[in-house]
Amino acid sequence: MEYLNAGPAVDFGSLSAVVGNAPPVARDVTYERILAARSEPQNWLTYYGAYDGQRYSPLDQINTANVKRLAPAWVFQIGSTGLHAGPSTYAFEAAPIVVDGVMYVSGWDGWVCALDARTGQQLWQYQHAIPFDTPLCCGNVNRGVAVAKGKVFVVTLNAHVLALDAVSGRCVWDKTYGDVRAGESATVAPLVVKDLVIVGSSGGEFGVRGHLDAFDVETGRHVWRTYTVPKPGEPGSETWPDGPAWARGGGNCWVTGTYDPELNLLYWGTGNPAPDFDGSVREGDNLFTDCVIAVNPDNGEIRWHYQYTPHDLWDYDSNMENILFELDGRRLLAHFNKNGYFFVLDRTNGQLVRVTPFAERINWGEIDTSGNVTPKVYPKNEGEPVHFWPGPGGAKEWTHAAYSPRTQMFYVPVQDAGAEVTRRHREFKEGIPYWGASVTVDIEDTQGFVKAFAASTGEEVWRWRAEQPMSASVLATGGDLVFAGEPTGEFNAFHATTGELLWQFQTGSGHHSSPTTYSVDGRQYIAVPTGWGSWVEGFAAGMIGGHHGGALFAFALPAD
Amino acid sequence: MLTVDEVSAALSEIGLDRQNRATIGRLIAHGGLKYAEEGPDGRMRAKVRIPLDEMTWDPSVVVMPHGGDLELEVTNDDQNTHAALFPSNGDRQWLWLPINSRGTATLNLDGPGYYWFSSPIGNDEGRGLEGVIVVLGDAPHEARLDRPAQPRP
Repeated sequence: MEYLNAGPAVDFGSLSAVVGNAPPVARDVTYERILAARSEPQNWLTYYGAYDGQRYSPLDQINTANVKRLAPAWVFQIGSTGLHAGPSTYAFEAAPIVVDGVMYVSGWDGWVCALDARTGQQLWQYQHAIPFDTPLCCGNVNRGVAVAKGKVFVVTLNAHVLALDAVSGRCVWDKTYGDVRAGESATVAPLVVKDLVIVGSSGGEFGVRGHLDAFDVETGRHVWRTYTVPKPGEPGSETWPDGPAWARGGGNCWVTGTYDPELNLLYWGTGNPAPDFDGSVREGDNLFTDCVIAVNPDNGEIRWHYQYTPHDLWDYDSNMENILFELDGRRLLAHFNKNGYFFVLDRTNGQLVRVTPFAERINWGEIDTSGNVTPKVYPKNEGEPVHFWPGPGGAKEWTHAAYSPRTQMFYVPVQDAGAEVTRRHREFKEGIPYWGASVTVDIEDTQGFVKAFAASTGEEVWRWRAEQPMSASVLATGGDLVFAGEPTGEFNAFHATTGELLWQFQTGSGHHSSPTTYSVDGRQYIAVPTGWGSWVEGFAAGMIGGHHGGALFAFALPAD
Repeated sequence: MLTVDEVSAALSEIGLDRQNRATIGRLIAHGGLKYAEEGPDGRMRAKVRIPLDEMTWDPSVVVMPHGGDLELEVTNDDQNTHAALFPSNGDRQWLWLPINSRGTATLNLDGPGYYWFSSPIGNDEGRGLEGVIVVLGDAPHEARLDRPAQPRP
């Protein structure tokens, strides 16, 4: 039979309005510019806006006096096509990066896009093909990209790190740094420090061994790997029992770290030990799980650590940000942990300065002012249910707090949800979830807050209550505004000093991302990805029926 | 648990291996399985087609022995127009498939794992025109965990 020639297949994106290339603005993004990121507030150059993790922008065009006029300037959507990993759990979690009018943002399922930050027009797209059987504890998500030296860096769910050409979106190099057959994946936003791009692995719920990896920005050469669970004989190995527990110990680094260039130290949070809830197979403190580790970026050496929850039995990952700030001449670090406590450390040496509760309800245990931990409610006996607050989603999940140097306050998204956990011992099998418990998170008697805390004392200054746990990152600006999205879709602006709700917009889908701000041609924008999904059954189970959505909104004041 | 042969027999007995027999459509991803063949250049090659009135890919499961490049020959032997959307690193690949047409698609897939493909028009997907590309193998040795071999299911 003679067949019609259907031709060669074409790029799906060529059958769309995608322009195909972006201006070469990323070519001049150097380490020196990222070091001084806050000196160019029109841009959001790195994951937290700056290496210090403050998620603060000096931009003040949008302020307490005029925020009520804020309105959508444009909306960008990716949508969901066909069968992909986590078809019921995908979510838009990224922090949009902006360089001189071009926005770079990652979505779920391998998507990376460059957009005109003024109009939302899509300039290029890249989609990595992701196996739909990739092992994922918590959904098909990605937290963002890094940009430097003409490249856009992103990790893929199947544990690759890619460098894309920032003009065309084409792949420049592609390195595998995790083993999906072992239960590893990748969701972290990379961090560029000097000539390295630094990434961590995911997979703590599958009994992997966490690690941080560094690659050469230009070539993709693997420069170092640091495991967060030591082998027998290595420092910290004395906190693990004899036997195989260390090899399955978790401690993954799935959220971006912060960096002090003067001390030349990265501050990277580590995840829960595995199995999450069955401590009987891993007696000891289980270093370096649930820690902040201070890492030399040049060689991956762990210089010091502080463990927020020794021998964790509650799934209290400690990946969330360690915000760098100064107080009375001291170089400090602030951290709001899943376990409900607000820690301040001396970041030169890891010594505890202060620890105070910030959660609404805490009954899992107690941490005294010296940092001594006393467990109280935990899954101790096989088959015996226990109920504790905060649940495994934490008093604050990975989503980030912000710090305003103007108000000298921290602004924290707070979740108040307990959970019932019943220890159920299971044997470890590679690639199979390894929790060691049956878990149901409360769907009633839950709530959320945005809370403000004084940096000098740790005392609460104001709070704003939400019906649902607050599960999205907070943004603070020089306009004395604090932005935070809700699981029910509202995007809110608060007065940074008083907590008064000044503006609200219903985006149509829940928030589980990190808003950023930038300006183009003198006009300030607030960018926020929306799209409800991920580990909803863990952090806001009462909203598991919420609509997915999946849109990036850019808000601005009217152009007139 | 049923064996593969028993599953095929059960599907046939119920009538789920044909269009509009026991129910509206044909059970997705049940159009057979074939291995891609690897050439001396390391590229893998396979053929898929849409048979007359079956609304399925034959085969609907294409197995690559490892990650890499796959050249697919795609044929529409049906008397209706279809299309093809395949996964590939960088961007998905699209083909129109008019009646009695043949085209090609070149894909790059990492693996290991399962990748979905379909005819993404109308409700071809729901009727049965969905398939899976399976990539066998392991992550590169240098990417694997430094730990002793672990038990698997």
